[in-house]
Amino acid sequence: MSPAQRPGGGEAIAITGLGAVSGYGDGTEALWQGLASGASAIGPFTRFEHQRFRTQLASEVREAGASRAPRGDRRSSIADRFALGAAREALAQAGLPSQLDELSCGIYFGSSTGGMFESESYFADLLGEPRRASGIGRLTAQQTCSPGESVGRAHGVHGPVQTVASACASATLALGNALAALRAGEIDMALAGGSDSLCRLTYAGFNSLRAVDPKACRPFRAEREGMSIGEGAAVLVLESAAHARGRGARILGWLVGAGASCDAHHMTAPDPQGAGIARAVEAALADAGLAASEIDFVNVHGTGTPHNDAAEANMLRAVFGDRLPHLPLTSSKGAIGHFLGAAGAIEAVATMLCFLHGAVHPTPGEGAVDPAMGLDLVTGSPRALCGARYALSTNLAFGGTNAAIILGSEPV
Amino acid sequence: MSTGVVVTGIGVIGAFGTGRAALLEGLRAGEPRLAEVDRSAGYHRPGGARLAALADLSGIAALVPPALARRMSPPARMAVAAMHLALHDAGLPEGADHAATGIVTGTAFGPAWVTEQLLRQILGQGPDQASPALFTESVASASAAQMALAIRARGPNQTLTQREASDLLALGEAARWILDERCERVLVGVVEESIPVLHALLDRFQALARADAHGPERARPFDRHRNGITAAEGAAVFVLESAAAAARRDAHPICRLLAHGAAFDPSAQAHDWGHGEAALGRSLRRFLARAGRSPEEIDLIVSGASGARRGDRLEALTLRAAWESGKLPPIVAPKGTTGEYGGGFLAAGLLAAGGFRPGPTAGYTTIDPELGIAPWTGGELPAPRLTLLSALASGGAAAWALVAPA
Repeated sequence: MSPAQRPGGGEAIAITGLGAVSGYGDGTEALWQGLASGASAIGPFTRFEHQRFRTQLASEVREAGASRAPRGDRRSSIADRFALGAAREALAQAGLPSQLDELSCGIYFGSSTGGMFESESYFADLLGEPRRASGIGRLTAQQTCSPGESVGRAHGVHGPVQTVASACASATLALGNALAALRAGEIDMALAGGSDSLCRLTYAGFNSLRAVDPKACRPFRAEREGMSIGEGAAVLVLESAAHARGRGARILGWLVGAGASCDAHHMTAPDPQGAGIARAVEAALADAGLAASEIDFVNVHGTGTPHNDAAEANMLRAVFGDRLPHLPLTSSKGAIGHFLGAAGAIEAVATMLCFLHGAVHPTPGEGAVDPAMGLDLVTGSPRALCGARYALSTNLAFGGTNAAIILGSEPV
Repeated sequence: MSTGVVVTGIGVIGAFGTGRAALLEGLRAGEPRLAEVDRSAGYHRPGGARLAALADLSGIAALVPPALARRMSPPARMAVAAMHLALHDAGLPEGADHAATGIVTGTAFGPAWVTEQLLRQILGQGPDQASPALFTESVASASAAQMALAIRARGPNQTLTQREASDLLALGEAARWILDERCERVLVGVVEESIPVLHALLDRFQALARADAHGPERARPFDRHRNGITAAEGAAVFVLESAAAAARRDAHPICRLLAHGAAFDPSAQAHDWGHGEAALGRSLRRFLARAGRSPEEIDLIVSGASGARRGDRLEALTLRAAWESGKLPPIVAPKGTTGEYGGGFLAAGLLAAGGFRPGPTAGYTTIDPELGIAPWTGGELPAPRLTLLSALASGGAAAWALVAPA
């Protein structure tokens, strides 16, 4: 039975294109090669001077390829350019034209800070003493919705464009919104994803919370101390199965369900029992018409903060019960850092790449897996998947926002 | 969308005061309540815009205890206060069970004051001076999170940001959650603050109305001599429920949401409106057709026209393109009174659709021949049977909703 046909579940939506920009470089091939290598893309970075920050590492996209500003472009933000690079790749893989004027296409993006990095240089001048004259053009792409809008303008999109700004769950929620719009028949296809770039505000902010590991992050390791911040973008081309088949597209996989919830517990700390994220996962399973026993692997939020990983382990135990010690888990953040508002998008792409390459990518990080958690974290090298059908991807955010999606493989 | 989503409560805070009665009074008066923006920090250019529709916050302390309020960003305080007003308006008692209540908020700029203070710390005093409390409240979703914490709302929680279309997009997403049976009740919040630096930046982008030979500094929606928006701050929260859930508890709906839709104009610049009226008009017609309606059935348009030179042009020409050769129904543009941002527009639109007299379009005096639209300025307006709410945002986004009386 195809993942598109599940009794009791909502309509599955076909995934026909993937695009990514990450600390491993431009493109999904670079992303997979990096993920599979088990080597972390987290290290020293140069985007801004950071000697006075508490920590010194990040996963940075080098200014090359997709991330480089086109000649004469002084207005788009780095986050815009990441988004454009990922969208270009996804459209090409989907066999779609660059201009989508004739198609019923929407854009569903997640971002947490948009062009904040560019804004900071403006504000440094504005707030400084003495105040310096500063070009207002640097603020043109400041808004959080700018990456999604940039993709819309570049590709002639006429359908809905919306940006979710729910911190670290943004892109996962955006994928869920795209799924709902496609199921409702409001659009035939969507570019869904997210983009965020390194900036001082989030780097200093997470450091102020003591949520950043001085070393490269170590998700689910006993000695973990926090997250590592990353940057980049990811885009998935989503289509109704009829639309994809009607144009002869190659279906790479499926988005089969989405769920969301709120802890209503604390502004920053997750519910320690993981009850909120468990409700989001259960909602996603119900939406997909699946039982937890049908999930073959999980790409967990896995930030590497002591609180998050413990809460997620509790959620996994509640949802998967006795299967947990034998359920392969991975955290893409251990490899490419935390993309914040775009995390759900890059992790959805990473999950699809696991299906396409028949293996779960390892989670880099020093030290032994926390034995108290009883998890089967994939480490070292990729773990072969045999006949895997469904994977779960989760994200948690400030304010207790939880989001989960379920992705399916396309049987060959 | 079926007829299954109703609005049962509205809570608003803005320059007009606190509560929907204050908003309606302001709309009927047809005069914006504008105040001088604090220019002492020197962000503003000489001769620039001076006024904004600053929220009257005098009613907040009674709704959000100071001990809680001090942990919230200014927009979160307004949103939580407006939420309590909306829940009361909906007849939902304090302590009601919100375990399955969802929250979706819309904002154009997020918590601006908190972000400014955080940037001052990081850029001015050094990154090690960043306050964790400020950082936590700097995320755009802080208002939605504080709303959830205040009433233990554990359903889906989401924040949308799409400039001037954020409010209608949030409304549409909330309606979908109910129709998809993800929630029986969703609180839609629209919130914005207006701080001096944001006001100054909007003015530097030439977005704000200025005093000129044609009149004082105020928004003039659709007017030939319009020259910018009035920035507003405030919060509006709407209680959306499935019609069945509302009926079960004998609620008194204000209006029914029939459909929502959205589109994009790729000809827009990042900071301005485009010229894609023909395509947007087709998108609007398709939206109406999908809802099983034709333009001729609409008897009131509540327009997001704000006095923006190019924004109002695009709005007018899009409506004319959608109606083709047909006669447009009466159009009101409440942003002449409420200002841009902060939820006043959406509250005015839903109340007008529910049969509350919307008041004249403040600021309009002279028809713009290019636009060919004269908004309703007063007099007898029959209660609408079908109202279109329209918001076209700078940057390209567009959103619509079809609303009927309850």
